[in-house]
Amino acid sequence: MLKQWLRAWRGGELGLLCIALSLAVASVSGIAGFSERLQATMATQSRTFLAADHVLTSPRPIEPQWLDNARSEGLRTAQLVAFRTMVYASEEMLLVSMRAASASYPLRGELRAPKQMFADGEGVEHGPLAGEVWLDSRAMATLGITLGQTVEVGEKALVATRVLVDEPDRSSALNIYGPRGLMNLEDLGATEVVQPGSVVDYRYLFAGDDAAFVAYRQTLSASLLPGQKWLNIEDNQPALASALARAEEYLLLAASLTLALAGAAIALAAQRYGQRNIDAVALMKTLGASRRYILLHYLRQLLLVLLLASVLGGLVGVAVQYLLFASLSDLVSATPPAGSLRPLWMAIVSAALCLLCFAMPPIVRLSRVSPVHVLRRDESLEGGVRLATAAGAAGLGLLMYWYSGDLSLVIALMLGCSVLLVAAAGVVLMALTGIRRLSGRLPGSAQRLAVSSIYRRRYANAFQTASIALALMVLVSLLLLRELLLKDWQQQVAEDTPNYFLINIAGRDVEPLEAFLADRRIHHAGLYPMVRGRLVEIDNMPLQNIEGLETRNTGVDRELNLSWSEVLPEDNQLIAGQWWSQAAEPLQTNPVSVEQELAQRLNITVGTALRFNVGGRDLTATVASLRQLDWASMRPNFYFLFPEDALRSYAGSYITSFYLDDSQRPLLVDLLGRYPTVSLIEIGAVLKQVQGVVAQLSRALAVVLLLVLVSALLISAANVMLSFQTRKQENALLRTLGARNRFLFAVVIGEFALLGALAGAVAGLGANFCLFFIQRWVMQSEVLLYWAAIPLASVAGAGILALLVLASSRKMLRSSATVLLRGA
Amino acid sequence: MIKVEKLSKTVPSGDGELRILKGIDLEIKAGQSAAIVGPSGSGKSTLLGLLAGLDSPSEGDVLLQGQSLASMSEDQRAALRARSVGFVFQSFQLLPSLTALENVMLPLELAGMEAPRQRASTLLEELELGHRQHHYPRLLSGGEQQRVAIARAFASEPAILFADEPTGNLDAKTGAHITELLFSLNRDKGTTLVLVTHEQGLADHCQRVFEMYDGELSELQRQCPC
Repeated sequence: MLKQWLRAWRGGELGLLCIALSLAVASVSGIAGFSERLQATMATQSRTFLAADHVLTSPRPIEPQWLDNARSEGLRTAQLVAFRTMVYASEEMLLVSMRAASASYPLRGELRAPKQMFADGEGVEHGPLAGEVWLDSRAMATLGITLGQTVEVGEKALVATRVLVDEPDRSSALNIYGPRGLMNLEDLGATEVVQPGSVVDYRYLFAGDDAAFVAYRQTLSASLLPGQKWLNIEDNQPALASALARAEEYLLLAASLTLALAGAAIALAAQRYGQRNIDAVALMKTLGASRRYILLHYLRQLLLVLLLASVLGGLVGVAVQYLLFASLSDLVSATPPAGSLRPLWMAIVSAALCLLCFAMPPIVRLSRVSPVHVLRRDESLEGGVRLATAAGAAGLGLLMYWYSGDLSLVIALMLGCSVLLVAAAGVVLMALTGIRRLSGRLPGSAQRLAVSSIYRRRYANAFQTASIALALMVLVSLLLLRELLLKDWQQQVAEDTPNYFLINIAGRDVEPLEAFLADRRIHHAGLYPMVRGRLVEIDNMPLQNIEGLETRNTGVDRELNLSWSEVLPEDNQLIAGQWWSQAAEPLQTNPVSVEQELAQRLNITVGTALRFNVGGRDLTATVASLRQLDWASMRPNFYFLFPEDALRSYAGSYITSFYLDDSQRPLLVDLLGRYPTVSLIEIGAVLKQVQGVVAQLSRALAVVLLLVLVSALLISAANVMLSFQTRKQENALLRTLGARNRFLFAVVIGEFALLGALAGAVAGLGANFCLFFIQRWVMQSEVLLYWAAIPLASVAGAGILALLVLASSRKMLRSSATVLLRGA
Repeated sequence: MIKVEKLSKTVPSGDGELRILKGIDLEIKAGQSAAIVGPSGSGKSTLLGLLAGLDSPSEGDVLLQGQSLASMSEDQRAALRARSVGFVFQSFQLLPSLTALENVMLPLELAGMEAPRQRASTLLEELELGHRQHHYPRLLSGGEQQRVAIARAFASEPAILFADEPTGNLDAKTGAHITELLFSLNRDKGTTLVLVTHEQGLADHCQRVFEMYDGELSELQRQCPC
């Protein structure tokens, strides 16, 4: 049997099938393996945002027994106690957000605490020792101390040994805005600052094996008290979690679609394999072979191909994984965890299923070839496209569901593919019929021959064009999706997004502060007054009496920041009503401009009367306009804006934000020294963390896209190669009849450029369909379509196929005309 | 018209080199008909391929209408074929993607002749295939396919016609009809005809008969020159 197989292999029929199958194995094991390991790496890095794998928060200490249980399950633990306390230096005192940490804190990530002011400093694995305290630059500047000096926290004197710059879980801490400090948990008792009734946040950190944690969490779930809550990355970092989730969906999509491409390549190769074996099967049947014998014979051959492809594809897949990680080495700081065998196993099962669904239909049809074929060679395996398509679609659907477990994603993809396949077939057939009608009037025989050849094989061509269209559609969809994702992420974190907020700026400090910033060329977002007030009535109806209004969900159950401005702020957009400076006549009552989403939730429109309570005083106003805000801009934004006259008499302070790069940070000491009542909020560290992750993700996605591009090119090449085989005979004949190379070129390039253009146009259309479904139902975001992709993909399709043909045309044209004389 | 000097063809094989043609000399004058007969594997088809410039010899040269094929590029040989050579094959070799009419038009267009559609149509009418013009090859019988192939071969009024077992795939009656057609056209158009055949009946129609045996060619003396 091996001999037979080797003979078939030498015939070149199995080679293409093997390449296609290896591609399937390589892409699935490569992408699945890469994304598995990338996700593990990302998850590790994301966990540093928690400083642990899981965190339990509690308003009071938990039973020590709980921690013992965790340790006996094999989990590592750490404790944090967060509270606010006055810290005293010799002359000064300051309210500091202090956290007392056990020796093992942090369990994930590291602290940054240099031994000098306003430096980035090296990473430190664990927190301060007993008797030490680490304060941030701001606290040290305000307290007027340097490193090595002593401060008092409650009843305990602690030595400031390092400057606290960053903790991994800083963004999840309660008070990230005020001055911060970190001390050792052992000293907490001696300070005597935590008394019954103190506002204290207890955090218990856990790290270790997922299975052990699940078991531990289950045993604990019954004992959890109200107020005690588990935190994970999703709760903690919604923006990051959604970025990760989208990246996961994207990788999954890429893997599924690469598989679809490989499937199509397998189908093409199998079709050709079957076609070339018709003579052999007819002969075997003439010699007495049964259908069962023939089926088994070819199944054995396919099995050997699968075996070879598993080994080859597996090796290539491993290489792909390493290449991907190598290209990300400067971004993925952690060493990727060793890969499991699961992706390879998945890939082999997928390839087997692909083979079964895509390669079996032509083999089954092959087994039905009539022995009469020996006498009259008019049998063809063309047709039966529907069976192949149905079997292939079923197989792919199954595989995608296996990968994702997400039925809606599979349905969206399959629907996109079905629409594309049907549309491709329909459009190609319609276009070909039309062109064929016109072809009689074409001046050159090259064009007519090209059109005739396409038309003659129109059903096979519809299938091939659909497969190329599918490949192009995958590319176009992924390109467009990537654009969308990147735009979405970048909007969240632009490079010069303000990273500091100044609040509590007293009215008298406004002018000197503006001058201070201007002198140092620091561009700020503008100084906005801020008056705290509560919304109490809408159209004379108290809020609590309004039916269907959940004040909790609308965010108006607390004090809101009201502000005034004579001009519409820079990045605000007026979407209804009029800004007061544009009003034709003086307004009767106080006008107010409301943020549109809040307006929608509260059912407020232009003309609605509102009543606020500001520091015990009433403020009535009529809604004059609605504004759209960009919350991600990190500039001061307000739900309610008034003209200056309306709000001026109410006491308030000012707020601003600005961007400062690392080298300018020492300015802050000076600023805080001059304006001691001003509060500084630093959000730079949080932004940086998110920016780092976004940068990694987008690089990873670009690499995956490259992989899909290679698959798409391969499938197009498979198409071209397959048709080259069938046209060898035709070229030999044309050459015998006196056709020159240029003519043969013109025929083949014309044919493929036409098919490529058709495929591209259909792909552009299909990609927009897919995009629509994915945005609408999978990502549940705003739907953005790119119709320009249709002509662009059409030109690209024609170009890609023409180039592929050009690259391999020498081989095709080399066919000798003498084959015709040997009765081939 | 056709002159062959010391023509040899060697191909590599498992045990070294296989010499298919061994220094063949041959001359066929314009308007003559010649048959090449011989057992299978004697090199008949190889010789035909070399005569038509489909393949290149290892040694020697072929002169078609006084032009040396050895000195021509592949494209130049193709241009010569388009102008002066017609072909009929055993297995017809019609392009399945073209109708009967389009198959006949093809060599006319390749040779850049005027009114190819009209000429092709007239020729098919002459061969009683007028009603089959717009049919694809697969809808035609073997005899009809070979008649279309003959129409295609004569369409550009070539000076030389090569035929490779033209009746090999046909039944006796159809074969006889095709033979008659081939020779009557040969007479009417004054074409030089070279055919390779196994069939004595077909060879008998030719003015000259050559026998190929083990790569060597010899002319058989005819009892009655036709």
